[in-house]
Amino acid sequence: MALLEIKDLRASIGDTEILHGINLTINSGEVHAIMGPNGSGKSTLSYVLSGRDGYEVTGGDILLDGESVLEMEADERARAGLFLAFQYPVELPGVSGMSFLRAAVNARLRDAGEEEVDQLAFVKMVRAEAKALGVSDEMLKRAVNVGFSGGEKKRYEILQMALLKPIMAVLDETDSGLDVDALKIVSEGVNALRGPERGMLVITHYQRLLSHIVPDFVHILAGGKIVKSGDKSLALEVEENGYADIANVA
Amino acid sequence: MSPNSAAPLIENDTPRDAAAKRFAAVGWPGKSVEAFRFTPLDSLADRQILHGTASGNRSTKIIDNAVHIQISGGVYDAASSDDMPAGISLTTLQDDTEAQAALFADLPETHPVANLSFAQMSAGIQLSVSADAADDTTLVLDYADGSETSSAFPVIIVDMAPQTRLRLIENHHSAHGLSAPLVHIRMADKSELHHVRLQDEASHSDFVALSQIQAGANTKLNSFTVSKGAKLARCETHLHMLGEHADMSLSHIYLGADEQLLDITTRLNHAVPNCQSNQLIRGVLDDKARGVFQGMVRVAPDAQKTDGQQMSRALLLSRDAEADAKPELEIYADDVVCSHGATVGELDETHLFYLMSRGIPEAEARALLIEAFLIDGLDQIEDPTLSEFLTDAVRSWATDATAS
Repeated sequence: MALLEIKDLRASIGDTEILHGINLTINSGEVHAIMGPNGSGKSTLSYVLSGRDGYEVTGGDILLDGESVLEMEADERARAGLFLAFQYPVELPGVSGMSFLRAAVNARLRDAGEEEVDQLAFVKMVRAEAKALGVSDEMLKRAVNVGFSGGEKKRYEILQMALLKPIMAVLDETDSGLDVDALKIVSEGVNALRGPERGMLVITHYQRLLSHIVPDFVHILAGGKIVKSGDKSLALEVEENGYADIANVA
Repeated sequence: MSPNSAAPLIENDTPRDAAAKRFAAVGWPGKSVEAFRFTPLDSLADRQILHGTASGNRSTKIIDNAVHIQISGGVYDAASSDDMPAGISLTTLQDDTEAQAALFADLPETHPVANLSFAQMSAGIQLSVSADAADDTTLVLDYADGSETSSAFPVIIVDMAPQTRLRLIENHHSAHGLSAPLVHIRMADKSELHHVRLQDEASHSDFVALSQIQAGANTKLNSFTVSKGAKLARCETHLHMLGEHADMSLSHIYLGADEQLLDITTRLNHAVPNCQSNQLIRGVLDDKARGVFQGMVRVAPDAQKTDGQQMSRALLLSRDAEADAKPELEIYADDVVCSHGATVGELDETHLFYLMSRGIPEAEARALLIEAFLIDGLDQIEDPTLSEFLTDAVRSWATDATAS
């Protein structure tokens, strides 16, 4: 069934329309990639999906698991099962990493009418997930993202995704700033979370991420519209010929 | 109080008579007096001077194993207080002319709180810490009760003998129309004081405190105040470094909402060489609240190698809130390291979005960010027990402020 349906979505920042009518359906178990050049609207799409202030939807709809999210705040969308892995994860000086992760997990549990996890059980839960992603105890003790390298920040994003178990994950340029080794660890983390009950939308500029996280479908975003869709071979085509040809053909 | 009833000083006036006359001569200062420009106190003239009475109740214990001193309705309630442990004596000041004269000699001549509170002295206590006192002694001065029509003028002297160590908590949660505590702390050489103060007076209260600290050689002070209660609150501290190698930390957090006016005023006097002072001020203001920080650091001509640091930051949660900062350095020595800085800002929208994108509700996300803003301030408190006491007070404020 469809986990995410984007229907003729139009969105603006201020008076400028950035997205000019996007249509996209992601079914459970599918991984879709959106590729596009700089300025095509990729990051705008990720922020519009997650409900950031200042990004105004002027037309169309976004359905998550059949429900429109347009009237929901960012936190409500997250608790409904949407997750955004940030291109630039935000440093929060003074906010303890463990308090942050626990607040997020407990907010989800509370909404689901389940019991919140206590501190001890939570530390155990985090350690198990963190180990697989190469997130050290030392990183967990620090303030959120403060003093992390680019690779550490991305691994920390995937750790949050693993803990929050979203039904729909949007990964915004998760490969940016990663060297080959870090890219491999992050991709393995993402692949481990692929499953029949979850959908993923991988947003990227380059093909290289998609050789690690192999998508079922690839869409090309240019000028605020999806100009071409295909399977993973479309990504290779972009790699070979660049965006200009495809955008023009469309 | 009428300011026009000034009578000339006569030779056999007692110090308290003299202080009363000094106050009567000028009354409460308005905004034309520079030190009170941001926080004029002339509205306090409408408050009646009416001492309260002790309720006989003892406040709830806040710290285990602490020695409790109960000030109730503005007066010292011995029956509701603990006996002093070995090495510490508590004497009352009202009949002790010698102690009164000694304090009077150290009071600033024109300060309204110094004069009025010394003259009125609804409670007068001298706490003397001798070398026989245990190193881990904790004294709690608990200020409770009172009503909108009562006023309190507690005068507290803390006398620390050389090489003594003390933890001192001032817990202000009374409900007077006016509270004007005068605290005078003498730190003899090599003494060490860990001091926290919570100002959480009733929302109808005016609170104007003057604390003076005289620090001898090789003393160590770790002092922290959280000011969050009252309608108008001014916490003024005068710190005199009188002996070399004094190591002083004097920090404040103010938390304001509604139409509160919270003032932190400090005057640091580096009178001798080789002392260091560190002041950190954090303020969070919601609604129409106003925050004021005035910090004067004076370095005397021969106070070389002075290290004086001062940093104030305010966080505004509402467009109608206002923060004023007035750092002042008066440096007459040439070989010193002094700095000050002041910033005013708002919560970062990017930070808020990141937290909310993880499912954390907006109110909780705001509370987390407010706490984070304050946490490096609270990190200044070295003693874990004292830190916990104030951290709880800050956390409950952040939660309340964001819940509405």
